[in-house]
Amino acid sequence: MKEIRIRFKKIGRAKYISHLDLTRTMIRAVRRAGIPVWYTEGFNRHPYVTFAAPLSLGFEGLNECMDTRLVEDMPMEEMVTRLNSVLPEGIEVIKASDPVMKPGDIAFAQYRLSFLKGKFKGIEGNIREFLARDSILVEKKTKKGDSKKIDLMPLLEKAAIETGDSAVMLEVTLPCSSTETVNPGLISAALNDFLTEKYGGENTLFCDITRRDLLNAEGLPFE
Amino acid sequence: MSYTLEDLFRLVQKPGRYTGGEMNSVVKDKEKVNIRFAFCFPDLYEVGMSHLGMKILYGLYNEVPDIWCERVFMPDTDMEELMRQNGIKLFGLESRDSIDTFDFIGFTMQYELSYTAALNMLDLAGLPLRSLERDSSHPIVIAGGPCVSNPEPIADFFDLFVLGEGEEVSLELFELYRRHKAAGFDRDKFLTEAAKIEGVYVPSLYEISYKDDGTIASVTPVNGAPAKVRKRIIEDLDRVYYPDRFVVPFIDIVHDRGMSEIFRGCVRGCRFCQAGFIYRPVREKSPEVIDAQSRALCENTGYEEFSLSSLSTSDYSQLETLLPRLLDWAEKQKTNISLPSLRVDGFSEELAARLNILRRSGLTFAPEAGTQRLRDAINKNLTEDEILSTARKAFSAGWTSVKLYFMSGLPTETMEDIEGIANLSQKIVDSFYKNPDKPKGKGVNVSVSVSCFVPKPFTPFQWEPQDTMEMLQEKQKHLRDSVKTKKISLKWHDAATSFLEGVFARGDRRLCAVLEEAFKRGCKRDAWGEHFNLQTWIDVMNDLGVDPAFYANRRREYDEILPWDHLDFGVSKKFLIRENQLAHQSRTTPNCRQSCSGCGAAVWKKGVCVE
Repeated sequence: MKEIRIRFKKIGRAKYISHLDLTRTMIRAVRRAGIPVWYTEGFNRHPYVTFAAPLSLGFEGLNECMDTRLVEDMPMEEMVTRLNSVLPEGIEVIKASDPVMKPGDIAFAQYRLSFLKGKFKGIEGNIREFLARDSILVEKKTKKGDSKKIDLMPLLEKAAIETGDSAVMLEVTLPCSSTETVNPGLISAALNDFLTEKYGGENTLFCDITRRDLLNAEGLPFE
Repeated sequence: MSYTLEDLFRLVQKPGRYTGGEMNSVVKDKEKVNIRFAFCFPDLYEVGMSHLGMKILYGLYNEVPDIWCERVFMPDTDMEELMRQNGIKLFGLESRDSIDTFDFIGFTMQYELSYTAALNMLDLAGLPLRSLERDSSHPIVIAGGPCVSNPEPIADFFDLFVLGEGEEVSLELFELYRRHKAAGFDRDKFLTEAAKIEGVYVPSLYEISYKDDGTIASVTPVNGAPAKVRKRIIEDLDRVYYPDRFVVPFIDIVHDRGMSEIFRGCVRGCRFCQAGFIYRPVREKSPEVIDAQSRALCENTGYEEFSLSSLSTSDYSQLETLLPRLLDWAEKQKTNISLPSLRVDGFSEELAARLNILRRSGLTFAPEAGTQRLRDAINKNLTEDEILSTARKAFSAGWTSVKLYFMSGLPTETMEDIEGIANLSQKIVDSFYKNPDKPKGKGVNVSVSVSCFVPKPFTPFQWEPQDTMEMLQEKQKHLRDSVKTKKISLKWHDAATSFLEGVFARGDRRLCAVLEEAFKRGCKRDAWGEHFNLQTWIDVMNDLGVDPAFYANRRREYDEILPWDHLDFGVSKKFLIRENQLAHQSRTTPNCRQSCSGCGAAVWKKGVCVE
């Protein structure tokens, strides 16, 4: 049996596929593609696939990770080609390779938050003002189900602002491990609260969130 | 600020219902197609996507290069509210274009309580509800499905109905449409011509008059429409189109698996069952065709399970040939075969083990009635001995629970029959404890589910009064009192929804106004329990001077003109009267394989009628 790591994009229409639904989608894609994967034992046997870091519904991912096991050899390129010929629009396999790191090595994730310019006036100035504050306190749900207050400010110190033609982008690196995870949605929600406080009314500011890559504790790309 | 459709996906529950883009969904270049068809299912995505008929027609239409068929479902309340607030019209999942610009809007009508959902969808599409209020610039709005065996309560909203199996007749309809479109489309001319296609019913071409007592005096066709419209059937199921791929949904749906149709129709003739009459005659697919189609379907979808679909799988004449053939490859590919509506007895032990029959289907019986007398009256050929001997076998194999399905309110039913439900359930409980091989240290659970009988058109019970809600509630109470043990759990279906279903199942055109008014007063999702409000319906009918009991609870005379009498589903009135009389004598009728009972479906000279 051979461990295989598959890296893929999940963009466009596919960003609305939830994690649970992605698992089912991938299992069926593996079957359609005729990849010789290992099946789980037991009552409902299905191809074994596992995802190191689930992606929230609505986020795009540019270098997502799925591990599986082969029971027969198949060239990596062939696997990529076969999968891409049966995957739905928006999911695209970039490469298949031998795993280098352990899934548990993932410590951070790089995100890009894009705020569409047309939706709100002076968005860039407002983001700068938002980031210039001393602290950004938000409620974060814990695994136990209750919530705690955390300050996003230390995480945003290295955040880079970039202005494109149609959007203002914020690049951030956030914890993404089994022990600590910060959802970038907290940042856009806090910015929304800030704008609501400043201007009043409902100024829902939609934000496109893209996970660009997964990193280990040293900040190296996960492989 | 108003939101775009893309924005709404971020705001609603389960956006996967609305985004499209699933594997095997069909996207075409709209500049290169001539006919755009919106296939509407008046229920949620999860329900509609589980429906086989839609999958067949979606695949069939999209095989035609100049036709693009898209799927449309009823949005949930959150999505509907946002769409209305932001002026977003109902759209096709594939193109996301509003369907009011399409050539056809086609609904499948599976149950009466979805009528208001269909009206809501037309309204969400920005279309006038009534056919008369639409003109040549609007899409042609059509419907098919079992409910169109009596489409009169929805006749004012649709331009035409397609009766029976749609594969051939809809392509003929498209061909007529192409010619009319090329010649400068005139809706009225098109509809008049369409009425000449066998299986197409254009309700506006029939004038209905009523007697003083409210019954129908006459039905008069105009503009050359036929006096009787006969349903269509597919003569050779081995040669008809069947999809080799289904759209594979992202989100979990009700039946998320492949489905292979193995035959149409049913030999049984249970007198309460509309499907058993309107889909006659029984026509089977050959094992070779089913095998090839199932295999292609699994390869193209990646489904880990497929089911054999029919009204009564055990009645497939070559099941013992088909199943080993399917299992040979399915086992290798780790694909499960599911066998719904299967009688668990009558299999060889080896085959039962390979199919894992007991594990798969659980142990479910549908005796429908509690006594042999009533089972004979409804022609349900299942005996107490069969039930008990199968249950004993299952208990020996380690099973501890049994599900039983019954109906209440059946014609000729008495309180004795109701007690029979409790008695039969008790006998199953007793047989568990008498069984020396019973699982050690475990109890038994018999779960009894009772639905309320609704008389349907084209069945021998089409003349029968439906029990009133009060009668049904009394029977329910009597059953509760008759059950003496906690080993039996009782579940009773809501009598109120069955009552409304009963009104519309045998209703006439005067109910169109009721539907429209109820929709305006907020009835949109009657098929979803939590949104059903009987009081609104009662108020509407009171205000419009319509008596629901006239439709639901009245016994009709054999010579009364019924609202669906100008439609022909192959079973003759003479036969249905004979069956009705036999029911009142508690006498059974043999199934189609044992001997022909002369129902009328032999006119097609196909399937079981000529075997």
